[in-house]
Amino acid sequence: MKRLGPCICFSLCASLLMLTVGCTPKEGAKYSQEDVAIEWAKMALHITQFTPSNSPTYASRAFGYISLTMYEALVHGYPEYVSMQGQLNGLERLPKPDPDAAYDWTLSLNAAESSMLKNIYVQTSDENKIRIDSLEASIYAQFSLKLDKEIATRSIDYGRSVAEAIFEWSKTDGGHRAYLKNFDKKMVHPERPGSWKPPLFAQSFSHYPLHPHWGSNRTFLKVDAEIPDPDYLPYDTVPGSAYYEEFMKVYRKDSILTQEEKEAAIWWGDDPDVTFTPPGHSFYIATLALEKMRPPMIKCAEVYAKTGMAVADAFIECWKWKYHFFTERPNTFIPKYIDEEWESFWPDPPFPAFPSGHAIQAAAAATVLESTLGKNFKFTDTAHEGRKRDEVRETDFVIRSFDSFWAAAQETADSRFYGGIHTPLDNRVGLEEGAKIANNVIALHWKKMP
Amino acid sequence: MNHYHTIFKAFLLCFITRGLGQTPFTDVTEAAGIKHEFHVFEGTFGGGATVFDLNNDGFEDLFITSGTSPDALYLNNGDGTFKNIYETSGLKITAGYVTQGVVSADVNKDGFRDLFVTTLNTTGGTQVIPRAKNLLFLNNGDMTFREATTEFQLDDFNSFSTGPSFGDVNADGYPDIYVGNYFQNFQGKLGVIKDATIVSANQTAKGYLLINKKGASFEDEYQEYGLTHRGFGFGALFTDYDNDGDQDLLVNHDFGYKAVPNFLYENLYPNKWFKDVSKETGMNLTINAMGSAVGDYDNNGLLDYYVTNIKFNLFMINQGLHKPFIDRSKELGTYNLAISWGANFADFDQDGDLDLYVSNGDLNPNCVPMANFYFENENGKFTEKGRLMGVNDYGIGRGSVVFDMDNDGDLDLLVVNQKPVKEYPVPSTTRLFRNDLAKGNWLKVALQGNEADKNGIGSRVEIVTGGIHMIREIDGGGSSHLSQNSTIAHFGLGNALTVDSLIVTWVGGKKQLLFDQKVNQLLLIKEIKGAHKNSWLIFLFSGFAMLVITAYLFSRTKKAKNR
Repeated sequence: MKRLGPCICFSLCASLLMLTVGCTPKEGAKYSQEDVAIEWAKMALHITQFTPSNSPTYASRAFGYISLTMYEALVHGYPEYVSMQGQLNGLERLPKPDPDAAYDWTLSLNAAESSMLKNIYVQTSDENKIRIDSLEASIYAQFSLKLDKEIATRSIDYGRSVAEAIFEWSKTDGGHRAYLKNFDKKMVHPERPGSWKPPLFAQSFSHYPLHPHWGSNRTFLKVDAEIPDPDYLPYDTVPGSAYYEEFMKVYRKDSILTQEEKEAAIWWGDDPDVTFTPPGHSFYIATLALEKMRPPMIKCAEVYAKTGMAVADAFIECWKWKYHFFTERPNTFIPKYIDEEWESFWPDPPFPAFPSGHAIQAAAAATVLESTLGKNFKFTDTAHEGRKRDEVRETDFVIRSFDSFWAAAQETADSRFYGGIHTPLDNRVGLEEGAKIANNVIALHWKKMP
Repeated sequence: MNHYHTIFKAFLLCFITRGLGQTPFTDVTEAAGIKHEFHVFEGTFGGGATVFDLNNDGFEDLFITSGTSPDALYLNNGDGTFKNIYETSGLKITAGYVTQGVVSADVNKDGFRDLFVTTLNTTGGTQVIPRAKNLLFLNNGDMTFREATTEFQLDDFNSFSTGPSFGDVNADGYPDIYVGNYFQNFQGKLGVIKDATIVSANQTAKGYLLINKKGASFEDEYQEYGLTHRGFGFGALFTDYDNDGDQDLLVNHDFGYKAVPNFLYENLYPNKWFKDVSKETGMNLTINAMGSAVGDYDNNGLLDYYVTNIKFNLFMINQGLHKPFIDRSKELGTYNLAISWGANFADFDQDGDLDLYVSNGDLNPNCVPMANFYFENENGKFTEKGRLMGVNDYGIGRGSVVFDMDNDGDLDLLVVNQKPVKEYPVPSTTRLFRNDLAKGNWLKVALQGNEADKNGIGSRVEIVTGGIHMIREIDGGGSSHLSQNSTIAHFGLGNALTVDSLIVTWVGGKKQLLFDQKVNQLLLIKEIKGAHKNSWLIFLFSGFAMLVITAYLFSRTKKAKNR
């Protein structure tokens, strides 16, 4: 507070006043402040889903930057909160607001999100870009109505400058425009007993594994890249061995799948070709909770930023380990050693198995959400409600209810086991490592000490 | 360990097979002068071959696509050898393209077979998005061709095309084309390419239904005919599944369980419409359909379909009108693990029923050798005898075709193999297998259309002999994978000494009938002008002079070929 001049103090007070009265939209107003954060999260989900050639890896990265941008565009308007500048891996400088000038932080967020989305998803369709612009225009129209033009312009410029600075920083992380290099056809992968083989029952036409270099991308948090490698099992085809039994569990489970388990398997599939991807599902759950709880806008941004960065780092670490261990899927081991005709319930994604990407990112998100929004949040996930029945698997998309965020994460992990594409070990390690990554994110200096 | 074990096993099997010496089929590739391998652009894709008599000398020739490497045009010398005349053929333009599939028909009805070649891309280009036009070549009649892509208004179809096939959907005698496309098509040239264009390029694609406009041009009437599907297309097969005299359409799609499944369309000719009957016929297969073969394996008058797939293929049995097809691959003995592409029904041993050849190959760069299958039909059940027959080639197989390379009456085999991207323990080059197995009598029937297609594409030949009824459709391509078999119908007759009756159903439904035909001959049947649908009884044959039969009678039912 010491660094802020009286003007900004006044503007902050005004903002806070707006914030307290702005929990519900004023009469005639479309959006409350927290609505603005939530609407942009929903827009991010829409763009993620409807941009072709998207991948869980790229989507996770985009959510990381989109949500960090949301937080940074606001943070200086909330004295108790701390910027991530200097706390993240190489993010040393971000634009600062003029301490002597007034800002409307909602407009700052609005401009920042619009800018970041159009940059990080520059490959999306013109139609989607128009959609982004019209959300920005609609929010601007409401929040600039009775606002001094100069303040509005300053706020927008500031929001954009934050987004642009973060986008510039993003360019050096190894994942910039990575949708153009989903597969590295020249890379030579290990060929050894138990190594990953291109799937025959596949989700993707590519026989090359997805984003093999993703694990060397820069993590948002340095400390996440320093997490020790988990342990894997020694390859063994002898029945009774730990390795063999992992696959045997998948095989046995597949033969006794209940309808409910099949529903879980397809619900969490989150195929990047048709949905908002697995990280999108986590971002969706965060949105669902925020819509219900309706905390202040800055809190929404905090929840999104933590979720987004935890999930993004979870994917980087997960991919590092996937390519380090380069392990086979049940679809490779089981037909060879257990049952030649066996095929998983759900098709294989195009990358190695260990650890599970679904599990690691779901655990990362759930850990963040429980820490920020509480452990006992009950909710119903309607993400895929109304989707056409999966005729191939004779299974409907049935909405799911959970007593906690962790319960959803657990089902996300289990669903890959039901789908026959992950062993219990892949999932268990995924959940454990995801929680570690989230705890690192939570441990950042988010708020000033009282 | 297991990987090496598989390779070792494959090598051993190959060694044993080759080491055994004489097999009922003889690999004559080198002796015949065939030296070919398909060079991949992307491992899954390509290639194929078409069988056609390019100079009308009575010996069938071959065009084989080579992907990123120059294609091959093999002229059959008539003495068991072939000569690659690609360099002088006027087809060299194809070297500028990543070629995939090929089919042949007399597009302009001038008496010479023309060529249609599908492509994925141009070679040596720097295109961000791989796409190219498909290529049409007209046969000049002097063993040269000229490109007619632009003349036939096909140059704006910028596509990633896989399987082509000729058919005659409107029964006007001019062969039409279906093209399977794998990734989204573009119309015309691609201008400035934005990231958005690149990321949308790998979306599913519509096929093309190119209607031949009186031998002068082609027009895409996909939507006009009611086709709307977008999928990862591997082409389609024109076939009359419901025996009503017109050509229906069986469409193969990769990733059927994820994108769109296979489709079966009923041709509502003379209406300009394909009705989607996929669901009710049970042909909406949700598999990785790579190719299909058509044949009446049990001679019950109903055409069955063998559809190739990753892991296990499907043998779709026709149960008759208004009943769904049923997969009986397992009980019929054709349920063997592999990654299959080409498939050919043919009566290799000439015992009166259709055997089945299946060409297998890994996805390349994944390079685990897998042998091709030879399923011998033994009273309606199949036994895999690839090794015994000497055709269990371990190359990375794709398209396969059957034809009578030496005019000895039986069907020989050509399998197009890919050059492996990675190290591979056995040779993987295109193979030609001469049939030295067949002992039974045979009949070959070539059609010469007048109002119908010049080579009878879209028409069918049926014979009855000794109470057995057999059907053959004249192949316009799409039967097998990216390839086209001989257009000469072949029947194995076992011990039968005459063919009691022979019925030609010209596309559109007109019929011609012949009685008491000798065995072991090639019949050339010319279409009678003005014959009408369902009036075939009046064409009882014996007295009709206007039906010209050119018979090449072969005294040998089986010549000793192992010399």
